Amino acid sequence: MEYFTTELLTLLFAALRSATPVLAVVLGEAMTQRSGVINLGVEGQMLLGAMTGFAVASVTGDPWLGVIAACCAGIALSMVHAILVLGCGANQIASGVAVLILGGGLSAYYGTPFVGDKIDALGNLNHTFVSDIPLLGEFLGPITPTVLITLLAIPAISIFLFRTRTGLRWRSTGESQDITRNLGHNPTYYQLAAIAFGGLMSGFAGAALAVDYTANWVEGMTAGRGLVAVGLVIVARWNPWYALPAALLFGASEALNLKLQSWGVDISPYLLATLPYMIPLSVLMLSYRGLRASGGGMPAGLRVVFQSAR
Amino acid sequence: MTSATQPVVKLGLQLLRGPAGAVLVMTAIFVVATLAFFAINGREAVSLFQEMVMGAFGDSYSFSETLVKTAPILLTALAVALPARLGLISVGGEGQLYLGALFGTGAVLAAVDQPGWILMPLMLAGSMAGGALWGVIPGLLKTRLGVNETISTLLLNYVGILLVSFVVHGPWKNPNSLGWPATIEFPAGAILPQFFDTRVHMGLVFGIVAAIVLHILVTRSRWGLGLQVSRSNPRVGATAGISYERNVLIVMAVGGLLAGLAGIAEASVIQNRLQDGLASGYGMTGFLVAWLAGQHFLRIIPLSVLMGGLLASADSLQLYAQLPKASADILQALLFIIVLAVASLWARRSNI
Amino acid sequence: MDIQLYNITKHFGDVTANDGVSLDVRAGEVVALLGENGAGKSTLMKMLFGLYPPDDGAILIDGRETTIESPQKAMSLGIGMVFQQFNLVPALSVLDNLLLAYPKPPFWTFRRLFHTSPRKAVLTYLHELAPGLAPDTLVRDLSVGQRQLLELVKVLNLDAKVLILDEPTSVLPPQEAERLWGLIRKLAEAGRSVVLITHKMQDVMACAHRVVVMRAGRMVQTLTHEQCTESSLVSLMMGDSNQRSAIEVTPREAFANRPPRISIRDLDARHGAQSVEDIRLDIAPGEILGVAGVSGNGQHLLADALVGLTPLARGEVIIDGRVLQSASRTPSTSDRVSYIPEQPAVNAVAADLSLTTNVALSHFRSLRFFPAWTPEEQLTRKIIQRYQVRPDNPALAAGQLSGGNLQKLVVGRELEGDKDLVVAAYPTMGLDAGAAHDIYQALFAKAQEGAAILWISEDLDDLMSYAHRIAVLQGGRVSGIFDPRECDRLDIGRAMTGEHRPASTQQPPEQKPADSHARAVS
Repeated sequence: MEYFTTELLTLLFAALRSATPVLAVVLGEAMTQRSGVINLGVEGQMLLGAMTGFAVASVTGDPWLGVIAACCAGIALSMVHAILVLGCGANQIASGVAVLILGGGLSAYYGTPFVGDKIDALGNLNHTFVSDIPLLGEFLGPITPTVLITLLAIPAISIFLFRTRTGLRWRSTGESQDITRNLGHNPTYYQLAAIAFGGLMSGFAGAALAVDYTANWVEGMTAGRGLVAVGLVIVARWNPWYALPAALLFGASEALNLKLQSWGVDISPYLLATLPYMIPLSVLMLSYRGLRASGGGMPAGLRVVFQSAR
Repeated sequence: MTSATQPVVKLGLQLLRGPAGAVLVMTAIFVVATLAFFAINGREAVSLFQEMVMGAFGDSYSFSETLVKTAPILLTALAVALPARLGLISVGGEGQLYLGALFGTGAVLAAVDQPGWILMPLMLAGSMAGGALWGVIPGLLKTRLGVNETISTLLLNYVGILLVSFVVHGPWKNPNSLGWPATIEFPAGAILPQFFDTRVHMGLVFGIVAAIVLHILVTRSRWGLGLQVSRSNPRVGATAGISYERNVLIVMAVGGLLAGLAGIAEASVIQNRLQDGLASGYGMTGFLVAWLAGQHFLRIIPLSVLMGGLLASADSLQLYAQLPKASADILQALLFIIVLAVASLWARRSNI
Repeated sequence: MDIQLYNITKHFGDVTANDGVSLDVRAGEVVALLGENGAGKSTLMKMLFGLYPPDDGAILIDGRETTIESPQKAMSLGIGMVFQQFNLVPALSVLDNLLLAYPKPPFWTFRRLFHTSPRKAVLTYLHELAPGLAPDTLVRDLSVGQRQLLELVKVLNLDAKVLILDEPTSVLPPQEAERLWGLIRKLAEAGRSVVLITHKMQDVMACAHRVVVMRAGRMVQTLTHEQCTESSLVSLMMGDSNQRSAIEVTPREAFANRPPRISIRDLDARHGAQSVEDIRLDIAPGEILGVAGVSGNGQHLLADALVGLTPLARGEVIIDGRVLQSASRTPSTSDRVSYIPEQPAVNAVAADLSLTTNVALSHFRSLRFFPAWTPEEQLTRKIIQRYQVRPDNPALAAGQLSGGNLQKLVVGRELEGDKDLVVAAYPTMGLDAGAAHDIYQALFAKAQEGAAILWISEDLDDLMSYAHRIAVLQGGRVSGIFDPRECDRLDIGRAMTGEHRPASTQQPPEQKPADSHARAVS
């Protein structure tokens, strides 16, 4: 019994660690979509963030500088999407795919020299100020800082979105640009901020993956995590609180994949590797059912882009 | 200026304000961007650019390699453009291509002892069925559950690639291949016909014929009109008696089928077997070409050749100039960004 | 605050919307701006609200000439406007919508970052005007009347001294209109001025101190409340168009004893949050059945279910003894049933396809696999000519036409050929009086050819003038069926708001002797 509990707890921690990069992207993308813009380029931003973060950490030896550089790289690449969509009025999906390809290409091109480098990864929170916090300290100890930051981002985003006036205008931009404009607010400003925030979070997610979780850089290492995240935003109903269980879904399926292999289950690892895609996709199917019945909180401005033909 | 030349100049200016001008601007910006990219990375920009062009179209061998790359790009681009005519944004070319290769190979392995006239049609039918399956699934998810097709096709790409990895590492692995994960070599009866002693194969012909047939159907027929109407306003389509749901399944299936053909052609002619890393991003390139062509089937043909040239020259430059393979991705993305920006601005300007 | 508009002129292309109009509004006064659709009332007021600049003339506020270049400027001057199209975000709550419209404190001031303080301020008027309305309610759950109140509160929150209301009663059932009139009088007593844009006599008679009548972009006359009679106002408003030809409707005896052309039997349908239940209606050939109701009470869904765009959950629709739609079949449309949906420009045309293509859609099923376009183009030209669609080039994309012209094109397309049933939802909404007249003529001529007409409208006056019977939809059910000859507006109004108990939801087609064969406009 005790064995079982420990196993479950380690599985949960593993799921949380593997879910963190996805969670960060879900949070960022949910904020972007709340303003009525969808950005498929998060996958590319994540890759560029991972590569930049890893490279900077490797060169300077400071993983935190890597994290900051990764965030900047994410924002910079997301601005390509902003210019195409807001500046030129290009199709959002096509622009997202362009950013996706560009991010993949740039990270592969400039990342080649760093393949196989060793870096000081961000350690866990044991023996930091966190351990001195009574009660919580012991629990948070084994967690790494990117996990903690991402978890703290949930209430922060929620307060911003639902408790501040700027957050209110942000949401109303996503519901209707025209009405927002009629009320005297400039929707483009909020959409620009939203795309940049999505860039920040996806760059951070890349760092969480390369500088923290794996401490490694491999070409194309995000393996579709950014795209899974775009799907999970729908599962999370554009709500930062629901983003956690949605991302854990991915984390759990990945952790389960590794766990099943370590238990020696006789299924091909390649089939197991489809789980992190199949499980979110299945939940997405169920989720859409509810979305259809209730409207599900999809920002109305997004519906135009998202369900373009319906 | 003489009065005789004036109308000619006027006509020229008029053309420049239209799409011709846009194409000219796009080309100019792309050439400058490419040179800048080379220069930033410390290369001899102009000479590298020349080598690039030569690597694609310089001699008959390079051109044949360009055409080899053209075939899968053309087919996957059609797999994007046809659904786009109904307003669907499918990014599933990659997965459909892998599934086509998977099912086609399955047919070959199942009938490996049969003569070519049985084996070949079986293989092609299998690949078309596989690709169509990977198209119909997102189609069904869309019509039955309302799942956005862009997201489902993107996720299914990864699943398709992993399924191929599964069979080549597992059940279909050639026992004599030592560590190398691949199926047995295809028998001669399962190799698609090639032309003029090069690797240029039937897949290219399939693509060109499909592009022409689709063009005629979509622009001239009642069915094509139905697609246009549903795309523009599905509610109006429904009132006129056009089934949006059925058309979604048809365009996704036909698109998938074409991408599936690309997959089996790669496996059969280029690799002679099914193995990992079959397609190296043709699906995404196809998506890009379809958008560059404005989802216009006939324009896809020359653009596929151009893009095939870019990929072929990147391959040769990788060998001779140590230019990383990723530069092809970067240049593709730059081209896409430039075209999107210029085309959108051009459209906005002409609306005023 | 006193406002004077002096000699205002405004052109849109070749059209003169306002031609030398002068108007003054004094504090504490309710001014009705009366005129038919297209007379230029809204244009005049939109210039006062800063939406577009006048080509000529001046605006004086308290005697000083003022340029109002934007709605923001107008609001800062104390001028507020409530449009026919509400500026509310349906997915947000009442409170959120009020806060969005509240003047913005800079976001970097920390105290104002958290909107607990303005919360109280924005709710004061809400509690006063609509005490029962919870601030947490989502706007999408509000009735039209409540939404209008909310818009009014938004304007009052901006401290407006002058309120411009654009056709405020056109969407309200009669009792709610009365409530609004009371509110307007109260606001005027408190010293605010109100400009009421309207084409309805009742609005004028109920609450205006002064009436300004406009026609074809010009001001015709100004009358005080005492000088007004309904008939004098009508003749001022219509002017020469009084001579417009009569609109003929089918005489009742033509279909009095005939079996129904269309029977709706126990129909239930659901779509999203909308539903209609237990609909039982018969329409005889040639009969015009009007459907009244506050918008959003199932009209849209009923129409969709009849023509085969939404599956039925129960019941069936019978046409000449054959099943047209039924719960056991997948819904299908038919070329003999025509449908003019609300907002045809959005719901009935493919905007990026040509007019010819859009016209051909009405008989898509009978096109050949490779369609021949010459006859389609001829048909399109015919419709363009008959309904004066502008511009008159059949090769243009539909999106290049204005909403009004598209509406005429759609009506023309849908009334072309033999039809058994015509379902028309708000076919004249937003059109000027002349175009509306033409459309009524064409629609009712179809009835005389033997089609059954189901005519959904928000305009009770029109319904009472032309329909043979009026069915009222409330909460997705038929809450009453009325004979316009023997009921008054308030009876229908009570049925619209659900205060009326349906005595019998099913009445046989009228069998009383007909009193009038034709009714003319006034």
